[in-house]
Amino acid sequence: MSESQLQLLDRPTDATPWNKRSSNFSLIIGLASIFPILLFLVVLNISKLSGAGVLLTVFLPVQLLAAAIAAIVTRGRRGVADSQLSVFVYFAVFFVISMLGSILFSIVKWGLKAVSPHFIYQNNVYITPTTSLDYGGAGHALIGSLLVVGLATLIAVPLGLAVAVYLTETRGRLKGPVRFLAQSMSGLPSIVAGLFVYALFIATGTANLSGWLGSMALALLMLPTVVRMSEEVLKLVPGDLRSAALALGAPQRRTFFQVIMPTAKAGLITAVLLGVARIVGETAPLILTTRLMSETSFNPFSGDLATLPTFIFANLTAGFDTGRSRAWGAAFLLLAVVGLIFGATRALTSKKVK
Amino acid sequence: MNTRQVAKGDRAFFAISTAAAIFTMFLVLAVLVYLSIKSWSTFSQQGISFVTGSTWDNTTEGGTFQIWPMLVGTIVVSLLGLIIAVPASIAVAFFIEFVAPPRLARIATSLVDLLAALPSVVVGIWGIFVLSPVAATWSQSLSNTLSFIPIFRNEFSNAEGAPFIAAWTIAVMIIPIITSVSREVMGRVDKDLISAATALGSTSFSTMRRIIVPNAKSGILGGILLGLGRALGETVAIFFVLNLVFEVNLFHILQPKGGNVASLIIAKFGEATPEELNALMAAGVVLFVLTLVVNMIATSIVQRAERRMAS
Repeated sequence: MSESQLQLLDRPTDATPWNKRSSNFSLIIGLASIFPILLFLVVLNISKLSGAGVLLTVFLPVQLLAAAIAAIVTRGRRGVADSQLSVFVYFAVFFVISMLGSILFSIVKWGLKAVSPHFIYQNNVYITPTTSLDYGGAGHALIGSLLVVGLATLIAVPLGLAVAVYLTETRGRLKGPVRFLAQSMSGLPSIVAGLFVYALFIATGTANLSGWLGSMALALLMLPTVVRMSEEVLKLVPGDLRSAALALGAPQRRTFFQVIMPTAKAGLITAVLLGVARIVGETAPLILTTRLMSETSFNPFSGDLATLPTFIFANLTAGFDTGRSRAWGAAFLLLAVVGLIFGATRALTSKKVK
Repeated sequence: MNTRQVAKGDRAFFAISTAAAIFTMFLVLAVLVYLSIKSWSTFSQQGISFVTGSTWDNTTEGGTFQIWPMLVGTIVVSLLGLIIAVPASIAVAFFIEFVAPPRLARIATSLVDLLAALPSVVVGIWGIFVLSPVAATWSQSLSNTLSFIPIFRNEFSNAEGAPFIAAWTIAVMIIPIITSVSREVMGRVDKDLISAATALGSTSFSTMRRIIVPNAKSGILGGILLGLGRALGETVAIFFVLNLVFEVNLFHILQPKGGNVASLIIAKFGEATPEELNALMAAGVVLFVLTLVVNMIATSIVQRAERRMAS
């Protein structure tokens, strides 16, 4: 075959699939995005349907259709399924974010009506559900929540850490079953944890309703989170560090406390915080194991104790407007606590990545 | 420090961690066995009709306690919640892993985690005062336009307190769970496979259908079951938004009558007679067995999927 017989092929017109294929590309995409929104706004103003209803019955079908047409024009029939997928994905993301936004917005909006300095430090003595919001507060419930959650943390964290040590640092033969059962426990319904503690202590007459029983129930719920998160963190510690410490003659327990734990510090704190976030708003077990009162108490070991979740529950079920406002206020406090924990975990994990 | 002291200290260290592990392992069993023993009188007295019957009466001698309507209600609300939550969660997970630019993906992940961190009582208070009135209008337009389908029939003037609305509340709570598990598994799908598919001319839809979903299938299923486990055991939020009625309501999801085992326990606990208290514990046992089975299946699926994708 001589060289003169070789012919240069023409460069195919669609050899650059990354380029825009139609000169009207931007215009068509723009139209397909703007038209459904305009139609949505027009229908929303003319008809008396609710926003969500119009969104679902007018905007979504029109947007799907517009995206399909735009896809056929710009990319041919192969693009249709793609366009439907992306419309659906963006719609779902919008839906989830608007739900979250609605929750946060309403808690802040209604909560701030009730929250004032005295709402945070005063207790609820002499306050009925109809007393005006100028008096009383949820300070006693905030203190009670901190006590109950703190005590639960003191129980669950050492236990959970020890289990994580078993799962990562030892050669125990029960690792599989332990991991499996600890995981399955994370699905323990909170009400069942409450019932268990109730049946164990109160129904048998061993103890009366009091804060530490609530802590026991919360510790049951916190344990799986602490175990899973700290196991994951401990697994990330490089094996070389372990070997180096052991080679220097350190016993295994000192290797753990002086080398592995400091290395994994940020992650372990995150594990604890996530556990706390999991239980701080748990209501059902506290309804079964503690009794709400309006005085401030610093003693979680005997007597009644108010906590934020039970305070919210009692104010809501009482059924008066000022009670509802108090519930929103307390929900705002609870959300603030969760927000603080959440911010702390973000700060810790972002530092670790750097 | 001589070797004997070292060995002694390490043995204590390992003994403590082993003891903690074994204690945790038996904790699940202890909860199940102890609650069953405490509520045995109810199980033996009511027999199988405790689960299959529909009467709850504490006024007669000994009382009649049966939870079938509540059990049905729990399952109906959870499944409806899944119908809403599953497509949304998978779409959001797909968005975070494959559509969004890295910064936006990080923000979206944070928002999903924040949604997961919201306490159920907070979601509950939002559920009654904000979501219920809005969802009631959706429910009314559904019953007005589609009432020829029996599911959407509602002859009550009131639309709040229906399983339909409880399902939306539950969906908000389980979306973050399903999303984060699905995102994790989708992220572990071999990137080379995806690049190869794209190079062969696969569109993002066909990549999703032929590569991502088949590879991440079992992990996503595990995530869905974890969400189901959470939905079955949810108490306070459902107690607020659902109207508990002792009547089997299997299909009429828009009618303001539903059932829920966990909410039943909260509702009756305050002024329960001793026999009733045992019955409530028995209801707790049934609920626990249900969620434990769902969670065990979910955990084993997720663990197996993670192991397979890691290797």
